[in-house]
Amino acid sequence: MALNAVKRDIPSYIEGYGKTEEKLFAGAFARKPEGFSAGKRLRSRTPNDSTKFLGSIKEAIAASGIKSGMTISFHHHLRNGDFIVNQVLDECARAGIRDLTIFPTALFGVHKAVIPHIQNGVVRRIMGSVNGPIGQLVSEGGVEIPVVLRSHGGRPRAVIAGDVRIDVAFIAAPTADIGGNISGRAGKSACGALGYAFTDAEYANCVVALTDNLQHYPIAPISIPGIYVDFVVQVGSIGDPSGIVSGTTRVTRDPLRLLIARHASKLIEASPYFQDGLSFQTGAGGIPLAVTAFMKEAMKRRRVRGGFGLGGITGYFVDLLKEGLLKKLMDVQSFDQEAIESISSDPRHIEISADWYANPWNSGAAVNQLDVVILGATEVDMDFNANVNTEADGALLHGIGGHQDTAAGAKLTIIAQPLLRGRIPCVVDRVHTVTTPGEVIDAIVTEFGVTINPRRQNLIDACKETKGKDSVPLVPIDELAMRAKRMSGLMAPIRQADRVVGVVEWRDGTVIDVVRQIFPENISS
Amino acid sequence: MSPIETPRSAQAGTVESMDCLVTVTASGGGRRVEISGGGTSRFRDVMEKKINQVLDGLGERENVTISVQDNGAVDLVLGARVEAAYLRFREAIGE
Repeated sequence: MALNAVKRDIPSYIEGYGKTEEKLFAGAFARKPEGFSAGKRLRSRTPNDSTKFLGSIKEAIAASGIKSGMTISFHHHLRNGDFIVNQVLDECARAGIRDLTIFPTALFGVHKAVIPHIQNGVVRRIMGSVNGPIGQLVSEGGVEIPVVLRSHGGRPRAVIAGDVRIDVAFIAAPTADIGGNISGRAGKSACGALGYAFTDAEYANCVVALTDNLQHYPIAPISIPGIYVDFVVQVGSIGDPSGIVSGTTRVTRDPLRLLIARHASKLIEASPYFQDGLSFQTGAGGIPLAVTAFMKEAMKRRRVRGGFGLGGITGYFVDLLKEGLLKKLMDVQSFDQEAIESISSDPRHIEISADWYANPWNSGAAVNQLDVVILGATEVDMDFNANVNTEADGALLHGIGGHQDTAAGAKLTIIAQPLLRGRIPCVVDRVHTVTTPGEVIDAIVTEFGVTINPRRQNLIDACKETKGKDSVPLVPIDELAMRAKRMSGLMAPIRQADRVVGVVEWRDGTVIDVVRQIFPENISS
Repeated sequence: MSPIETPRSAQAGTVESMDCLVTVTASGGGRRVEISGGGTSRFRDVMEKKINQVLDGLGERENVTISVQDNGAVDLVLGARVEAAYLRFREAIGE
């Protein structure tokens, strides 16, 4: 055991993960890469080679050469509408393949069909976020090898650095041609940007595109060129459109959450970053969307023209682009129909890969250019560390997403969250799991006001200068934690075993925390 | 025609977030407290303490089963719901 830079005791060896001594989290920007990026299998094609086209997933599994014990990857742009992960694993099971490592960019509720494949030995390891029933299974010790959690930037870093080798990447493609060129912009299963699929296409030893919209060569525009794609498989349907495109996420109408959004918006307005060229990321949650709405109002009132909006893009950001309040959108994942239509028609709406978006080990990811990001968290603590992975009972139910990357990149990182969720306090003495270190979190905004990280004296000063209706109510962190404690009452400790079921990597590949097995709650009293 | 049966239970509360639904029923012998949902993973002990405190304060003599379906109620809310449910129960059984 050894303490890392956020004072977490990390076992020196984790069964199924390896030694950690050289990989202890040492600070947000401490670890630097050495050497060269990983390679992949060389291949060639001549004009006389047979077509890339295959008629079924079964044929693709045979052609790709998947064997037991290999690593296969998937992207999550079809979200809860995805048909591909389950179908590919079903076919692998039929072909007698076992002990697979699956390396998805994320899994959703629809992927609970993976559970039988875990139990029957087809899937041996998951590297990627787990949630819902799979998260519960992992938390209670139902998967032998610990899950490895990486951020949206940490994942491509791990691939490019050679930490993870992808044997076969399965890429769900809303549109593809016979040459293997891919786009997410058109087709009955359109999803817009394909940001999470790029690195897998570039680095996997074999790339299989699966499409339900096969077009003549070449399609235009192209997201992932066919030079990376070995096989193109035509299937009946890659996904369910109602699960791919979430219903338009609405701005919250809850007065408490609106108040929090109002405080956050005032903080941004008071900060030195509220000026022409302002860039920001807010995601799709209820509070962040409300912050976006308040900022729009403030930008109009103060005649500030923003620069770019980043990350997962919604219709709200598209409106800002159309109204000239933002000049560009950089889109790694298009959340709704408005975003999909915009990325398909407006050249100012740019598709970016996860590598480009958030990888700390390239020559400058987009997050480095970010002024402001609004994030959530299940809990934050007195050191401003944030937990987005585990719930109050210690269950590992959420992925990291872009939390670490945007927090590290942005000049002003805000966690906006009610002080309590139900009875569970969101501000505690010590978070159960550290996802993102306090050194990159600048402010916590609750219904009681704005709590600034003492490291950011310039922000405290800026808030103190505000007056009248623009004034930003400041609350020190210890007062906030005390209020939470008073309202919630004394929390019993989480009952957990020593066994590690999840490893949380910081975006640079170091271990920032581990998640341990929990015991299911005993209902009787 | 048989006489209308005396109701044997009463409720208070809702299943909204930060609230709880409390059901009080007559029990043979001894007070029973059942809690499920929201806060139980970290607050079961303090919730039981609060419930017993409220019932003791109302003079409840270990003749009821109290079942709480919790959705994250803080103590103040929990106590109020338990009190209301118990008083309704007494009214219903004609005490």
